[in-house]
Amino acid sequence: MENRKTIFKAADRVLYALSQLRRKRYLAALERLRSFIEQNGELGKEYRKLGLSLNRNWDSAAGSCCERICRLLNDISYATHNVKQVAEQPRKEIPKLSVIAGELGSLEDEFGNIKFDSNANTISVITEPISLDYISFGPFEIRLHIDKLSELYRDSPYYCIALAPNPAATDSGVTHPHVSGDKVCEGDGYDAIRAALEQGRLGDFFSLVRGILNTYNPDSPYVSLEEWEGIACYDCGYVSDRENMYFCPFCDHDVCDECSTYCRGCDESLCRGCAVECEICEEPFCQGCLTSCDKCGCVCCSGCMEDRLCLNCKEEQEQENKENENQQENQKQPDNKGQIKGQIETAQREQIRLTG
Amino acid sequence: MRIMYVNNSGGGFADYVNINEGTNVEQFFKEKMPHSQPSDHLIRVNRQPVPRDYVLCENDRVTITPTKIDGALSI
Repeated sequence: MENRKTIFKAADRVLYALSQLRRKRYLAALERLRSFIEQNGELGKEYRKLGLSLNRNWDSAAGSCCERICRLLNDISYATHNVKQVAEQPRKEIPKLSVIAGELGSLEDEFGNIKFDSNANTISVITEPISLDYISFGPFEIRLHIDKLSELYRDSPYYCIALAPNPAATDSGVTHPHVSGDKVCEGDGYDAIRAALEQGRLGDFFSLVRGILNTYNPDSPYVSLEEWEGIACYDCGYVSDRENMYFCPFCDHDVCDECSTYCRGCDESLCRGCAVECEICEEPFCQGCLTSCDKCGCVCCSGCMEDRLCLNCKEEQEQENKENENQQENQKQPDNKGQIKGQIETAQREQIRLTG
Repeated sequence: MRIMYVNNSGGGFADYVNINEGTNVEQFFKEKMPHSQPSDHLIRVNRQPVPRDYVLCENDRVTITPTKIDGALSI
């Protein structure tokens, strides 16, 4: 910042925003108290109705009144808790103007250079180039919007803007494993950041955000470092994210949609390189779902096999069996004719002898 | 004597604490953060970096900020 006048101007804006933040809490308490009082008013009406019903011996109406009273008492109990939740929060002291100005002054020592944009009402610092493991993400501008400080607990009042972005291969909006759309996922830093901002400790705020940028949490990034450059298909080299890749359990490689298929027997996903076609139906299968024909040795699926023979060999076998049966039929028929002829000749000789 | 102690770990802590006279920064850190390493934290006194043997004075403000903070994807 150029001079002390600018520093105090920025500090004054921050002070105003923090006073608005405190005021919002009181306004929230007022709103909840209004709701509580309205419900008590309804309870008063039910009291009068109940009295009137009893005077006129309207027992059914009295019963309905009691039901409504019960519901109102439940609502009032909830409203009581709501009001208390806001009203009993400890009173937060707003820091003095000189304290906030001191914080802004110390930022230059910590970050080298800070910028106050009077028109946009923002305070920015630039970090050193950020690197995690073997990947460089460049420097980031941490830009605090002073106007948004009054909405601290509804919306994040700052952005992290990559100045020399090296975004994830599969999502250009992710410029850091924990930054998406210029918004930081604060994780463990959420409470400390909110407390620092609420108390006007701007130096601590910027240091905390920088700490998040300098830390890699492998449990929950937008895009992991391992997949930062994307995942290349093992077969064709096409680069995409994990959701669009299929893992082949037979060769342990990732392949894209075009290079993957599935076994028609067990539905397992696999790459086209590991898939084997059934020689009969020509559908893809994994090795486990194919067997060899005992006769010809061709590889085919269970749908194209019967009695350990492929359908072609099975058909041949059936054809052979049929032919064999026919042959056997033909051999039996000539024996019968010979017997009859012999019997006729015997009968003829007998007749000749008798007439002789 | 009384100093202001700000710890930005976890939910944050900012309040006055009493310490013995002659306590230096290193001793104070070991007392308040016995399971942590100074090298993992940004330690400032009155917003300025100080040597570890700096002896704390009345009304000094000591700030301890972790340099590594796990961010996480919101679910």
